[in-house]
Amino acid sequence: MISLNHALDIPLYRQLSTQIMESVVRGELLAGDTLPSVRALAGDLGVNMHTVNKSYHELEAKGIIEIVPKKGAVIKAKEQKISTKRLEGLSDEFRPIVVEALINGMNQEEIYMLITNIISKVRED
Amino acid sequence: MEFAILIMTILFVSLFQIGVPFFVKRTVVFGVTIPYEQARHPKVMHYKKLYAMLTTIVAFVAIVGFFIWNQANPLDETKLVLIGSIAPFVILLTGLAFYFYFHYKITKLKKAKKWFGEVKQVRVADLTARAKDEMLSSFFHFIPTVIAVTLIILSVNLFDQLPNQIPTHWGPDGMPDAFTDKSWLSVLNLPIMLIVLQVMFFGINFFTKRSGIKINAGNMKSSKLRQLRLRKYTSWFLFVTNILMTLLFAFLQLNLLYENLFSHALLVVFPVGFTVIMLVGALVLAVKVGSVDSDLEGKLVVDQSGKTKTESIDEDRYWKGGLVYFNPNDPSVFVEKRFGIGWTLNFANPIGYFVLILPIVLIFVFSFLI
Repeated sequence: MISLNHALDIPLYRQLSTQIMESVVRGELLAGDTLPSVRALAGDLGVNMHTVNKSYHELEAKGIIEIVPKKGAVIKAKEQKISTKRLEGLSDEFRPIVVEALINGMNQEEIYMLITNIISKVRED
Repeated sequence: MEFAILIMTILFVSLFQIGVPFFVKRTVVFGVTIPYEQARHPKVMHYKKLYAMLTTIVAFVAIVGFFIWNQANPLDETKLVLIGSIAPFVILLTGLAFYFYFHYKITKLKKAKKWFGEVKQVRVADLTARAKDEMLSSFFHFIPTVIAVTLIILSVNLFDQLPNQIPTHWGPDGMPDAFTDKSWLSVLNLPIMLIVLQVMFFGINFFTKRSGIKINAGNMKSSKLRQLRLRKYTSWFLFVTNILMTLLFAFLQLNLLYENLFSHALLVVFPVGFTVIMLVGALVLAVKVGSVDSDLEGKLVVDQSGKTKTESIDEDRYWKGGLVYFNPNDPSVFVEKRFGIGWTLNFANPIGYFVLILPIVLIFVFSFLI
């Protein structure tokens, strides 16, 4: 289930990508499953097609989905081990958030806790 | 006979018009979006009942009036049909007038109560909904086209043997009452119109299929079920309409090609059967769709956990007068009607005009050429 909230600061296409990834993590979407077409999903959500398109391209760039001609957006099989390049990318994205947490007075333990909480929230939901 | 059909139609239209507020989505009251948990608000229910009472009175007066008028001084056929055909429109229009009055009332109530003030508004979609979509394939609508093409071939072959006068209009008794000179256009008029209609049916089905499956965040389960049923049953209804239209046109064309092919009794029975099947079909559709996610469903499951309520985004600003949808961001061509059962156009999407208006213009131009 996808749920987008206009009141958040996070752009809609980002929210959409995150939620599709969460569905994959939870096992609601499996490797080989096809996502709805851009037009269909935009129609379901009542948002502009560009929003969905942007999100699908982001997911493609991240290696989560593959755009197959005539078939659409297909979920890719999970890689066995994360590549060093991807790890570096994630590290770069984590960095500013970790710094912000530190500045706000969180210690290492609290940051671990926060991440553990997020993981269990994503998995259970 | 005509009188019975007319009364039946008026009764049907009346019952439908009276019941509308109770079988539309319960989160849209007189074209105004309200939060799911307020669907049973006493004021809301009061307005719905008031609407039903007022519409019942109008319908009752219309039906009884029509009955008495006909009993007192029996009308001739033309007048009877004319009045009998106007009556449903009178009922529909008064229903619409009441609709606007209560639309205004509910808008005021919603503002006064600030119903969307404290809820979290989201847009939701189910990624697996399309796998459960049971709409018929759009190409089904081209199966009866075989009959239309056969009619054209048959008509071309028989063209030389046809009389110089071709019927263009048929009375309620099934007998032709208007004629035109024989030409290729007048002889092939019916089958060509039939093909135009079949292309239109194909287009409606095709673009409905591509339109969004709208789910309400406040009650995802039943709103999804309602959308899926609406899609399935309207696509079946459209297909049955296509078959009936094809049979009717084939019947009229064969009657034109081979005089006295059908008995007089059949000429009367056929259009009546047509009307009855359509009414029954509409009834089935109304029950199947209208019993889900409406007041008729009964149960209203409201989350009492106390956390911030989640509702679908309030899209009233895209609905002019609560009836006309104009949303340039939504790629859907058709969306569920707000007051009634079925679909309405997204007027911001030009494809809709092509699908519906072009065929109608074509048919009009055609009838003028003859």
